[in-house]
Amino acid sequence: MELIATHGLNFLYAFATLALVVLGLAVVFGLLGVMNMAHGEFVMIGAYSALAVQQAGLPFLFAIPAAIAVCVVIGWLVEWGLVRHLYKRPFDTLLATWGLAILMREVVEAIFGREYQSVDQVLPGTFSLAGVEYPAYRVVLMGIIAVLFGALFAWYQRSNAGARVKAMVQNPALAAAMGIDTERLARWTFVFGVTTAGLAGVLLSPLVRVEPFMGLDYLLSSFFILVVGGLGSLEGLIVGSGVIGGTDIFLSALFDKTSGYLGVLTISIVFLWLRPNGIVSRL
Amino acid sequence: MSDRPQLAIDGLTGGYGDIVVLSGFTATVDPGSTACVAGRNGVGKTTLLRLVTGALAPVAGRVRLGDAEITHAPRHRRLRLGMGYAPQENVVFDDLTVLENLTLAAADRSLDRYDELLDAFPRIGERLSQRAGTLSGGEKKILSFCRALAEATELVVLDEPSEGVQPENIALMTGIIEAEKAKGRSFLIVEQNLGLIEVVADAVHLLDHGECIYSAPAGADVRGELSRRMRL
Amino acid sequence: MALSLGYSAAIVVALAAVPFAWGSFTAFQLGLYLIYGIAAQGVALCWGRAGFLPLGQALFFGIGAYIVGAALKTGAGWAAFAPAIIAACVLPALLAGLVGLLVFNRQIGSGPYFSLITLALAMLGFQLANALDWLTGGFNGMTGIPGLPGIDPFGSYYFVIVAALVISTAVLALVASSPFGQLLSAVRDNEERLQFFGFATHRLKAASFAIAGAVAGLAGALYAPHQGIVTPQTVGFLLSAELVIWTAVGGRFGLLGPVAGAVLIGFMASGLRNSFAYWEIAIALVFIVVVLRLPAGLGGLAAGLLGRFVPARSQLVRERPQLVERSPDAGNCDLRFDAVHVRMGTVEILNGLEFTVDQPGVHCIIGPNGAGKTSALNALTGRLPVAHGDIVWRGRSLANTRPYLAARHRIGRKFQVPSVFADLSVGQNLDIALWSGRLAWFDYLSPAPFGWRTGALDDLRDRFGFLADETRRAGELSVGERQMLDFSMTMLAEPHLVLLDEPCAGLSPAETGAMIEAIAAISADTGLVTIIVEHDMAVVERLADRVIVMHQGEVLTAGAMDEVRADQRVQAVYAGGTK
Repeated sequence: MELIATHGLNFLYAFATLALVVLGLAVVFGLLGVMNMAHGEFVMIGAYSALAVQQAGLPFLFAIPAAIAVCVVIGWLVEWGLVRHLYKRPFDTLLATWGLAILMREVVEAIFGREYQSVDQVLPGTFSLAGVEYPAYRVVLMGIIAVLFGALFAWYQRSNAGARVKAMVQNPALAAAMGIDTERLARWTFVFGVTTAGLAGVLLSPLVRVEPFMGLDYLLSSFFILVVGGLGSLEGLIVGSGVIGGTDIFLSALFDKTSGYLGVLTISIVFLWLRPNGIVSRL
Repeated sequence: MSDRPQLAIDGLTGGYGDIVVLSGFTATVDPGSTACVAGRNGVGKTTLLRLVTGALAPVAGRVRLGDAEITHAPRHRRLRLGMGYAPQENVVFDDLTVLENLTLAAADRSLDRYDELLDAFPRIGERLSQRAGTLSGGEKKILSFCRALAEATELVVLDEPSEGVQPENIALMTGIIEAEKAKGRSFLIVEQNLGLIEVVADAVHLLDHGECIYSAPAGADVRGELSRRMRL
Repeated sequence: MALSLGYSAAIVVALAAVPFAWGSFTAFQLGLYLIYGIAAQGVALCWGRAGFLPLGQALFFGIGAYIVGAALKTGAGWAAFAPAIIAACVLPALLAGLVGLLVFNRQIGSGPYFSLITLALAMLGFQLANALDWLTGGFNGMTGIPGLPGIDPFGSYYFVIVAALVISTAVLALVASSPFGQLLSAVRDNEERLQFFGFATHRLKAASFAIAGAVAGLAGALYAPHQGIVTPQTVGFLLSAELVIWTAVGGRFGLLGPVAGAVLIGFMASGLRNSFAYWEIAIALVFIVVVLRLPAGLGGLAAGLLGRFVPARSQLVRERPQLVERSPDAGNCDLRFDAVHVRMGTVEILNGLEFTVDQPGVHCIIGPNGAGKTSALNALTGRLPVAHGDIVWRGRSLANTRPYLAARHRIGRKFQVPSVFADLSVGQNLDIALWSGRLAWFDYLSPAPFGWRTGALDDLRDRFGFLADETRRAGELSVGERQMLDFSMTMLAEPHLVLLDEPCAGLSPAETGAMIEAIAAISADTGLVTIIVEHDMAVVERLADRVIVMHQGEVLTAGAMDEVRADQRVQAVYAGGTK
């Protein structure tokens, strides 16, 4: 019983963190059609923001505004200098953002070094949940993610800005004809996407190894989720996170970490082969 | 009313890639008047409207809206200068509600400007909270027509507004256009429906192979001319 | 790319002289970079030639290295090395081919999915190499790999590497200059059009990826005895990334560019990495600049400079000595649309479309915009999914077929906007059309298909004079010429059912006349079924044996032009609400 509860909580945790990490890529790739190969590097930037805040002797919470500020600035510059020119050339966007990813890794390595570092535990205690002692920070993190998604969903459904984004995605020509500045909207959508990635990096930083190459795993798991779940809807993101997180947790528990990775990769290839639009297909 | 035209198109030329679809189109629309553009399918009518509304960059020629040169102005700026546009196809956002479709561009989301229009087309007003995708094709065209009219302060650009719309609603549209003209608004309309053209047009331009082959003031035998040239 | 034999020989001689001029250590270093260069050649084949980017090529490199390493560690020397190097090429090729087939199956173009899957595979390989201690030596790597018997890794092994480079370059040059290589260029240029000539492009791409995998495996096989150690890094992400950077910087369109990139950056890195702290950052910046501003890399730049002094060899005017004919395979010409429904989102594009064609001749489909005319052709050729109903051609259902299968059933298609292979020459465009349905498996690597011609080609050349200049780039043709080239290519495949979507769009009146005449003549001579979607009534009047009027996804009426014209409903549709 306890074992099931632990695994259940582990699954929920993996599911929640994956959903948080994939959100930025889902926004940028799903809504703008830009495969941002530097997505994981924005997660990394978030984690290093937390590290920098810690090294400066400031409390952990300061990392959140710091990461947001850094990601907004970098994201804005990247959209303005790189992505904006390539919206109709997806292959070049892939290459350019991939180059950007290398650049971001190398710059971070030059500043912080290549070695693994760690951000101190926040809320080191445990909570008792369903008869299991579970790390407090993980529980809080799941709560934060749930609230974040709830708020985001409500905002996207109700606000005029959400409606405008939907309009731009559905029919950019008509949106522009109706007086919406689609270029500006696309820029802020991109910035929003990479900033959520940075935020994910801050929130995850106390739990993971912080190193310049950490972003790759986040890029790939986000990509797997989008392949399986499908692009362009929150439902797809949730379903994809569940399938990928569940498979990974299940196989990792049964065998080892590599099997989990092999499992999600195989599922993704099978989806690309047979159902390239994912489970929640909008086409 | 000043004597400058509301819309002045001069030698407008454009197309897709190096395929020129419209060449050297010239016309003016005075305040409170309507210009209609007719012709077979595929002769450049929609391209003309895409050039005027900024969806397509012209290769040559100029477009002026009132006193503003808008040949290369971004699309969203044209709306602020008073130009509203209802395209021919994909006229609404299917996944948004009717209300969102109507108020998307407005900062305040108010429906004030729609009072008269919603009185005329109560079917739209009854469905504000419904997804626009659930409307019929004709209702979508009416929704798009209302939106363009409410957004435009100076010039309304309509691409085949009557296509797929029931005759009684076409008659309503015609009446609204006439009433708005009387208030000084101008219209540029691509249309194949001769009934509508005959009522609202102050000038008719006939396009073929990307060129204007015939222009006539209101009252000319437009019907005979068009029927003859359209070969049907 | 098209380096003459003389240049190539000079390069080989220069490479062979390196140990004597700069000593064996430099040669040892250079040997490693040449090995990497071989693997990068495979990346260039995929990326520069076929237009898709593998981001995990080190996986295949590493597999080759581990196989040969393990074989040599048995101590059996050559007896182990010989089968091992074959396995080191074949296994990666099979793996790459399989992955390519699966991932490309439903992906057209160079979308990000393939690149990310290969990246993920390399990451998986890295994890496996770390985890499988008993097989790979785990984190510390497979160590103590002996060299080849009688060959000093720091001495004469260098010449083995040069020989391998010569072989891989020669093989890849053969591939590039074969019909297969030309088809890969066509994939990069306009994959969809190629499918409408009956080529299963996902198999072409998978095959080229398999070749790249084999080349990477070969490089890995050379690496193991050279370094004496194989670590998980050889499979991993970093080497994969570097292979792409070398290829980009050196130039991805040729075979020497990638090698030059690997050598250049390799030597610069060994000199600068320790003294210049921001070396890696500089390389990343160079890569971004190359991607955005210099797609042909330094190789392209060098070739451009060279070209200013040495005039490019003018492309030979193609001799076409060999007359080939396609089996006439005279069948019936029954086409039936049976209550076909096609939906896009919530919109019903085809709403129970129903018509039959059972006579050869020209059938014109007319109707207002949005009537579903082009969608009907798309459904027939597998470009749009059929939700309900069936499309039957010669007794076979084609609902939800795929474009290349439709083409193999002798259905030819010309799109409204002329769709040719813009980067290829007129002659190469004609080649590809001639090869449609005619290439046997052994022809893919044979030079013979370049010499093919058909009676139809001779006729079309008489008709459209510009086709005679086969060296012009198709992208430089005028719109009208491109329309005619596209039409000619469609006809060269000798379809039995040909679908022409507004063949006269964008043509001048004179060109329109020529096109009408060509359609009428070919249609009369060959007795095929031609379906034309057309807006221009003048064209319809001249060509149509029968007119089908569509409206809102259904057939409104069908018959001779005069009957249709007299129909009140047709007039109503065309003139709007006039009664």
